[in-house]
Amino acid sequence: MWLHVRLSEVCLFLQAMFILACCFSDMESGPIATSGSVQPNGDRFKIEGRAIVPGVKTQDWISSARVTVEGEEYIGFLRTDGSFVVNDVPSGSYVVEVISPGYKFEAVRVDITSKGKMRARLVNFIKTSEVIRQPYPLQLRSSGPHTYFMKRETWGWTDFLMNPMVMMMVLPLLIIVLLPKVVNTNDPEMRKEMEQSMNMLNPNPELPDVSEFMTKLFSGSKSSSSKAIGGSKCQNITCTSGLRNYCNWSCHGNYNAIFKKSFFIRLYNCFLSRVFFPLSNNPRVCTTLVLCQF
Amino acid sequence: MKSSVKMAKLTSLFVILLSFFCISEAVFEDQVGKFDWRQQYVGKTLFAHFESNTQSSKKMFVATDKNIFASFNSRTGDLLWRHVDKTGPEGTIDILLLHGQDALMVVGDGRLLRSWDTNIGGLNWEVVLDTGSFQAACFVAIQDTVKLVAVLKKAAISLHYLSNGHQKWVENLPDSDAVQYQAVYSGGEEEVYVLGVVPNSHLTIIAYSLEDGEIIKQRSVEASWLSSVESSCVVVGQGVLMCVDPATLALYTLPIQAEETPEFSQILLQSLDLEVSPGFQPVLVSSQPHPARSPLSEFFLQLGPDHHVLLQLNADGYTIAPLRDFQPAFLVSFATTGKKTVAAVMTPKNETACAINLFSVDSGRRLLDTTVLFPLEPNGGKPHMLYVHAFLKKDDSVGYRVLVQTQDHALTFIQQPGRVVWTREEALADVVTMEMVDLPLTGTQAELEGEFGKKADGLFPMVLKRLSSQVTLLQAWLAHLWKLFYEARKPRSQVKNEVTIETLSRDEFNLQKMMVMVTASGKLFGIDSKSGSILWKHYLENVQPNAAFKLIVQRTTAHFPHPPQCTLLIKDKDTGLATLHVFNPIFGRKSHIALPALPRPILQSLLLPVIDQDYAKVLLLVDDQYKVTAFPSTKNVLQQLQEMASSIFFYLIRSEHGNLSGFRLRKDLSTERIWEVVLPTEVQKIVAVKGKRPNEHVHSQGRVMGDRSVLYKYLNPNLLAVVTESTDAHPERAFVGVFLVDGVTGRIIHEAVQRKARGPVHFVHSENWVVYEYWNTKSRRNEFSVLELFEGTELYNSTVFSSLDRPHLPQVLQQTYIFPSPITTMEATLTEKGITSRHLLVGLPSGAILSLPKMFLDPRRPEVVTEHSREENLIPYAPEMPIRTEWFINYNQTVARVKGIYTAPSGLESTCLVVAYGLDIYQTRVYPSKQFDVLKDDYDYVLISSVLFALFFATMISKRLAQVKLLNRAWR
Repeated sequence: MWLHVRLSEVCLFLQAMFILACCFSDMESGPIATSGSVQPNGDRFKIEGRAIVPGVKTQDWISSARVTVEGEEYIGFLRTDGSFVVNDVPSGSYVVEVISPGYKFEAVRVDITSKGKMRARLVNFIKTSEVIRQPYPLQLRSSGPHTYFMKRETWGWTDFLMNPMVMMMVLPLLIIVLLPKVVNTNDPEMRKEMEQSMNMLNPNPELPDVSEFMTKLFSGSKSSSSKAIGGSKCQNITCTSGLRNYCNWSCHGNYNAIFKKSFFIRLYNCFLSRVFFPLSNNPRVCTTLVLCQF
Repeated sequence: MKSSVKMAKLTSLFVILLSFFCISEAVFEDQVGKFDWRQQYVGKTLFAHFESNTQSSKKMFVATDKNIFASFNSRTGDLLWRHVDKTGPEGTIDILLLHGQDALMVVGDGRLLRSWDTNIGGLNWEVVLDTGSFQAACFVAIQDTVKLVAVLKKAAISLHYLSNGHQKWVENLPDSDAVQYQAVYSGGEEEVYVLGVVPNSHLTIIAYSLEDGEIIKQRSVEASWLSSVESSCVVVGQGVLMCVDPATLALYTLPIQAEETPEFSQILLQSLDLEVSPGFQPVLVSSQPHPARSPLSEFFLQLGPDHHVLLQLNADGYTIAPLRDFQPAFLVSFATTGKKTVAAVMTPKNETACAINLFSVDSGRRLLDTTVLFPLEPNGGKPHMLYVHAFLKKDDSVGYRVLVQTQDHALTFIQQPGRVVWTREEALADVVTMEMVDLPLTGTQAELEGEFGKKADGLFPMVLKRLSSQVTLLQAWLAHLWKLFYEARKPRSQVKNEVTIETLSRDEFNLQKMMVMVTASGKLFGIDSKSGSILWKHYLENVQPNAAFKLIVQRTTAHFPHPPQCTLLIKDKDTGLATLHVFNPIFGRKSHIALPALPRPILQSLLLPVIDQDYAKVLLLVDDQYKVTAFPSTKNVLQQLQEMASSIFFYLIRSEHGNLSGFRLRKDLSTERIWEVVLPTEVQKIVAVKGKRPNEHVHSQGRVMGDRSVLYKYLNPNLLAVVTESTDAHPERAFVGVFLVDGVTGRIIHEAVQRKARGPVHFVHSENWVVYEYWNTKSRRNEFSVLELFEGTELYNSTVFSSLDRPHLPQVLQQTYIFPSPITTMEATLTEKGITSRHLLVGLPSGAILSLPKMFLDPRRPEVVTEHSREENLIPYAPEMPIRTEWFINYNQTVARVKGIYTAPSGLESTCLVVAYGLDIYQTRVYPSKQFDVLKDDYDYVLISSVLFALFFATMISKRLAQVKLLNRAWR
C-alpha cells in the first residue's frame, strides 16, 4: 500500500518535472506544430477554438457574442455549439478575445509562424515574451457574468443595531432601565454606589477631561489627589473622582461581596469606562479594565 | 530584485485599493434606463427576407451596407440579434439567400460562404472560397429538395452542400479571360447553367452536370447588342432568357435548355404598344418563387421612372402578351405564398401618401381590399424599395404586410389596413457629427426673464409686474398640481408622457437638451436627449455621398425672441465646393436667410466670438484664394471685423504637402500668411490636428503640491496638437510624432516622438494636457501617453494670456502606460465651470465605454511614494492601466463600432451629458466627482425623517417624564 502511494507520488513528481521541462524547452524552440491549419489560399491560416459559458445554453448567448482578433482586425462568429473559426489570418502574434456583453472571457495570445504552426499562451502586456502555454485549439471558459454595477449601501435595522458604537450605547441604556428592577435600591451601600455611578453620567464639574486625566496619569502615581488605600493591587492606581469607583471596587478587599451585590453596576461601569475612557493603551488603566472583564 | 517585486505588488495593491475606495464612479443597478437610452441600428438595407409565409411569423432578416446581418421582430421593429462583421470590403455582404431555417451569405467579394441558423442567430458553418471576385449565387435543388448552393466567381463555379458547407465540386470556367460570366441559373433540372457574355459580341451558355461538374453543353449565341447579362437579362418561364435592349427598343428571348444552336428572337416594344421614356434604361423584374421550379412566366418591364408593365410569356416561348399597364407606379414587387403569386404595386395617391395594391399575376386583376397607404413625409426621401411579405389568410385569400425602404434609408413596415407598424431611421447608423442645443424657455419662463432685462419703468409698475408674474407662477404651479392629482387617479398605462415639439422646454438643471445629429446620407435629426424620441427630421436631397459636414451653432436659445440658429456646412470632398444649410435646431425648419454665394472651394471655417445685432455669432469661410467670406455679413458685422481684424488668426493644414500655416486677417478681409511649418511628407504625414474646445472652462490655474507651493498650468488657448505618423510602416522604423504648435505665432512649444509605434492615434487635447494612444510595434500592445504642460511655480502674466508675449517655454512632463485593449475613440468629460475632476471616455471595440479617471493619466505619478506625493493624492506609478467593468458607463448596453463620443456640460456642475454614436446611439449622464451638488437618488428620506421624528417625540416624552419626576420629588 505504502509503496503504491509512494510510486504514485514519484509519478506525479516526474510528471511535474516533465511539464516543467516542456515549458522550458518551449521558450527556446517556439511553437509546436499543429497540422491541418493550413488553408488553400496560401499564407493565410485559421484560428480555431471553442467558448463555453458554464451553466448557460449556447443559444442564449452566442447571438450577441463574437470573436475578435487584435481589436477588430479579424472577426469570427460562434457556431451553434460554441466553437469558432477565424479564417484568413496571416502569420503573426494576435490577442484573441471572445466578446460578449453578458459574460467575461480571458483573452489569449495566439502566435502563428510563417509555416502555420500555432501556439496559444496567456496574455501578458508587461512581459511580452513570457510564455505560459494554453491549449490549442483554444478552450475559452467564461468566468461568469460581468459585474457592471456597484452595490448600493442599503440601510437595515440589523446593520444599525450591530454597529459596535450603537451596541455600546444601547446596552448600558438597557441596563440603566433594568437595574432598578433587579437591584434592591433600599440597601444603603448599594445606593451609595449607585449615586457614585450616576455621577459618571451627570455632567459633573469634578469630572476631568481626558487630557487632564492623561497628564495626571503620566505625571506619576504619587500625585496629591490619589488616594491609595491598602492592598497590593491598588497601589498604583490613580483615583481621580472619575475613577473613584474603580478604586472602590478594587480596594475594598472583599471582592466577592461586591461581585455578588453590584454585578450590574460593575458591568455598566465597565461599559462606561470603555466609552468615556478608551485609554486601553495605558497598562494601568488596562488593569482596571481587566478587572471589569472578570 | 525581490524587494522590487514586493514593492510592485504593494503598489499594485495600493492602486487597487485606491480604485476601490476613492474612485467608485459606476452605475447602480437601479439606475438602469433611468437617464440613459440606447438605440440600435443596422444601416442601409441591401437584402431583406421574411421568415416564412405564414401570418404568424414574426422574423425578418436584413443584410446591410454596414456589413451587418440582423434579424428584426416584424411586429415591433426591435432587433432580435445582430452580427457585426468587419468594416470595409472584407466584410461586405455580396448576397443573402434564405432557405427555411438557414440563411446563406457570401461575404467579402466571394471570400467566405456562411450559413446561419436564423432561429438562434448562430453560425452553422463557414467555409473559405477560392480566390476570385464574386458574380452570382443560387440554390440548386436535386429532386425537388434544395440541397446545394452554387457560387459563381469570375473564373470558377463551385457547389456546396447546405448541410455542412462541404464542397461538392469546383470547376474552372472555360475561357474566363474573354468571357464575363455573370449569372447562374438552376430550375430544378439535372444541370446548372452559367451565363457569360463577351460584350457586344456573343453570349455563352454552359450547362454543368450536378453530379460531377462535367460540362454537358457549351454554346455561344450571337448577340452584338448585349453588353451585360446582369443588368438587362432575366430568366422567365421554362428556362427562357429574356433580355431588353435599350438601343433597338426590343425584347429578346432565348430558350436556355434548347438542344440545337438557337438564336435570339426579337420582339419590338412597338409591336406591344409600349414606349420607353426618353433617356431611361428599361429594367426587367422576374421572380423564381422556389429554386426547385422554373421561374414565373410573368414579369415586369419598367419603361420609365414611374411606368411599369406586367407582361406574360406565352407557352410557345417567344410571344409576349401584356397583362396590365401601371402608370404611374413607383415600385413593383412579386410575392409568393403557397401556390399563389401576387404583384404589389405602389402608386402615388396624393401629396402626402402612396397607395400599395395587390394584383393577381395570372390575370393582372386587382385583388379587392388590399390597399394600404404609405404616408410620405414632407421632408423625407422618396420610396426606393418594396419588400412584400404575403401570406394566406384563414379564408384562403392573400394577405400581406409590406416593408418600404425610402431613399433616406428609413424602413417603414405597414400592415393591412394601412397602419404603420413601425419605422426605423437607419440613416442614424452613420452619424457624422452632432451638437447639443439647449431647449428654449417656456413662455412664462421667458416672460419672467424678460422682466429683469427691461429697466426704467418706474417703481410702481415694476412692483405690479412682479406681483402679476408671481400670480402666473402660482397659477402654473396649481395647474401642475391639479394635473398630477388628475393623472394619479388614472391607471398608469393610460398616462402618456409623450414629448412633442410643442411641450419642449428647458428643465430645472438644463439636463434635457436637443441633440442635432447629422448623418452621412444627408438626413438631419432632432432627438430629445431625455427620451431618445426623434422630434424632427429633415432630408437634404442633393447631398453627395462623400460629402464632409460641419455643424455650427451660431445662435443659442439664450437670445429670446430670436430663434436659435444652426448652420450646416456641407463640403463636397472632390471639388471642395461648399453649401450652407441654415436651420432652427429646435424645430428643424430651414431658415430663410440670404446665404452668401460660395463659388470657390472652402478650405477652412471658423466661428468668431463676434456677435451681430441679432446675436448670431459670425462664421468666417476661407476659400482657396485665401479670401474670407463672413456669414452673416451685415454692415455691423463688417465694421466689427475691421476693428478686430488684427487679432483674428487662423491656421490651414494641407496634409498632402505636410504644410501647416498660420494667417492673419487684414482690414479689407484679405489675409496674410504669418508662419508656416513644413513636415516633410517623405518622412511623416500629418494625421490630425486638434485645438481645445472653445466651451471648455478651467477652474484652477495651478496645482497645489505637497510642499504647499503651486505649480501653474500652461493654459494657452491657441495651442494646437499636431499628430503625425511615419510613412515608413516597418515595425522597427515606424514612429508617431506629436507636435504642440502655437496657432498664432507658429512656435513649436514641444515635440515628442514615439519610436517603434504606429497609429491609428487617438488623442484628446484639453486644459494643459494631451493624452494620446498608439500601437507599440515592438511589444505589440496599445499604450497611452500623457503630456502635461506647466509654467512652473510662477506665472509670467497672471491676468491675460498672450501668445505673442510668452518668453519662457513651458515645462513638459510625460508618462506612458500600457492599455490592455485597443480603442476606437476617446473624449474627455466637460462640465459647466470645470471644477469637477475630468474623466476620459474611451470607446472600446467591444462596444463598452470606459470612464477612465484622468488621475490615472498624470505624469506626476511617482515611482516611489513620498510624503509629498501622498499629500497630493498621487497614485503610485503602475505600468498597466486597469480596465474595470464597473467603469463601463454603458454596462451591457454596448455601442457597436463607436465612432465618436460627444460630451456637453449641463446646468449642474457635477453632471456631464454624454452621447456615444457609431452604429448605435447611446445617451447617458456621468458624474466624474459624484453628485456633489444635488442629493443622490438613493438619499434615504424615510430614514432621515423617521429619525428626526423619533428624536422629536423622544424629547417630548422625556421632558414630560422629567416634569413628573420633579413634581414627585417636590412632594416627597
